Amino acid sequence: MSASSRMARLLEHPAIWRGRSAARADVLPTGFAALDECLPGGGWPRTGLIELLIPRLGVGELYLFMPALAALTHRSCARWCAWISPPFVPFAPALAAHGVAVERVLVVQAPRALWALEQALGSGACDAVLAWARSLPAREVRRLQLAAERGRTLGILFRPRRAAREPSCAVLRARLEPAGQDGLAGQFTLLKSRGGLHRPIRLVWPSARI
Amino acid sequence: MRPRPIRKSEVVTFASPRPRNVPCAALPPPPDLPPAGFAAAAHPRELWLAVHVPGMHMPEMREDPAAERRQAELLQQLATRAQQFTPRVSLVPPDGLLLEVKGSLHLFGGINGIREAVESECAAIAARPVLALAPTPLAALAGARAGKALVVTDPARLVGQIAPLPLAVLRWPEETITRLARMGVRTIGQVLRFGSELLTDLDRLTGRMADPRSAFRAPERFRRRCNLLYDLEHHEPLLEALAPLLQELTEFLHTRQCGITQLECLLHHRHAPATRCVLRFAAPVADPRRLNALLGERLTTLCLPEPVRACELRSDEIIPRELPSCSLWQPGEHGGEAGASSSELIEKLRARLGAEAVYGLQVRADHRPESAWGAIDPVSGSCASGRSRAEILQPPWPAFRRPLWLLPVPRLLAESEGLPRHRGPLRLLGEPERIETGWWDGGEVARDYYTALDVRGVRLWLFRERTPPHRWYLHGIFG
Repeated sequence: MSASSRMARLLEHPAIWRGRSAARADVLPTGFAALDECLPGGGWPRTGLIELLIPRLGVGELYLFMPALAALTHRSCARWCAWISPPFVPFAPALAAHGVAVERVLVVQAPRALWALEQALGSGACDAVLAWARSLPAREVRRLQLAAERGRTLGILFRPRRAAREPSCAVLRARLEPAGQDGLAGQFTLLKSRGGLHRPIRLVWPSARI
Repeated sequence: MRPRPIRKSEVVTFASPRPRNVPCAALPPPPDLPPAGFAAAAHPRELWLAVHVPGMHMPEMREDPAAERRQAELLQQLATRAQQFTPRVSLVPPDGLLLEVKGSLHLFGGINGIREAVESECAAIAARPVLALAPTPLAALAGARAGKALVVTDPARLVGQIAPLPLAVLRWPEETITRLARMGVRTIGQVLRFGSELLTDLDRLTGRMADPRSAFRAPERFRRRCNLLYDLEHHEPLLEALAPLLQELTEFLHTRQCGITQLECLLHHRHAPATRCVLRFAAPVADPRRLNALLGERLTTLCLPEPVRACELRSDEIIPRELPSCSLWQPGEHGGEAGASSSELIEKLRARLGAEAVYGLQVRADHRPESAWGAIDPVSGSCASGRSRAEILQPPWPAFRRPLWLLPVPRLLAESEGLPRHRGPLRLLGEPERIETGWWDGGEVARDYYTALDVRGVRLWLFRERTPPHRWYLHGIFG
């Protein structure tokens, strides 16, 4: 018996559980076909924490989530889409132009963003919670992840690139870098996920198509 | 014949307004009737055939008792003959008969058949009648007296058909009719325009109709004070001291099936004025655990000037509460609603952070970026989310011409050789967009907006003032 066939037999054992097949059934299409292909299950997870590491604000991190937020806020039983302590004003007309139902957006300006974030994630009143965290101990990330699971909420955490050195409990961790000359594309790299393809993908933001 | 007084029963039969001495000035013309009661019934319950014999009613006969008697005999004779068509025949002296013919129409060959039969009966006693058919006896009579061979079988059309008839056909007192005519009211339709409310008001005014009024009840409020055995400084023991008061409050609310939307907690000190903290709720609340949690959140943020000697709870007006119904689904699942948990979250955040810290967004129809969005109360906003999608403003500019981030205040940029700089030189992309508006409300802007790319690949939204000194500002980041 060759090594490969023995391997195949071994893998048939029911106790063995492979990462690729463990993709959740409950996912949210990202709106980018290339991204859907490489994410486990073919989209963003519906519950849990996504950590997106970005070099600075404005590299396309909001464009990345706009199609998903538009789909979430337009469901008939849509819950809130909460923005916890956003660094600037989320511009409502632009959100509307991207298809987000503005009336489901909730903005929370909290000096203690972490507390508000945990409340929003765990309350079950939000479909998605967006937050910007400069430094966050791994212990807190674990708490946030548990809160998101409790509230069946998708938490999107934007963190600086140096957070890559810290361990994380988030379901998905990825990095986004600007790409291209005109700032209309980004390079997305999956750093940590349960399954999925960890290779860089070039994404073109929808404004380029207009 | 002596003019008849108006009887109440006529007013009722007509099912339509007929004011007596109501001034007609300044009343808006009502929408085209028919009255609601009639429109509902497609088929009339009754159909009345009025037989009016014009020659029989002559004013000069009034003084002649013999002629009057002869006339009454003739009418009775006619009525006897009419009884072969229907058992319900009424006399309307001196010159009219009313036959309820709804049940006999089929037997006598429809409306035309019965008309011909009645006419031939009248011809037998040398009378030449005018016949009119209507769902109400008075309407039929009015039509016949006006000399019109009115045929109305649809109650919904009745009012339209009788509206042009002159008021004289109703045989109201002469005085009333001339007085109305002087006011320009000459037809039935003009009287109907007054609306029935006026008549009802007059009836209530004169006590002919009951006028029930709902009694005023002073709104109930909860107010309890408890003096502490010893002074308290920390919020945890304070919350414990407040617990019996909260318990009392929830019992008070439960017995009334009510909730509160505002709770005031007063903490009295020895010298300093009482510390006041107010909790506001999105929906009426009566749950002790929730009240306790929210009050706890609020107390932790409170800064007490002195130890507390007594505490007091005061409720605002109590409001009937809708009892929650549980959903089969989890919130956010298919069919599950955010429901109560969404207002709970907002209340919790607001209790700790203040009401202004939690807000919803709104698109406003304005070209100025700073006025094109607004913060709204998320609770009322979520109520409004039931409105149709078409109502939500679609921005007038091409999509994706606006950045997702807006700076709350435009940031002044440095310049070199007339071009803006932001962490290095900026590259301007594409055509500028001019926004020049707001001269009417004092917030005038005159700007040329550019999209620019900075050295690190971030797309920015800049503007240059159109008025001197033509400075450059950063106003948004594309996201």
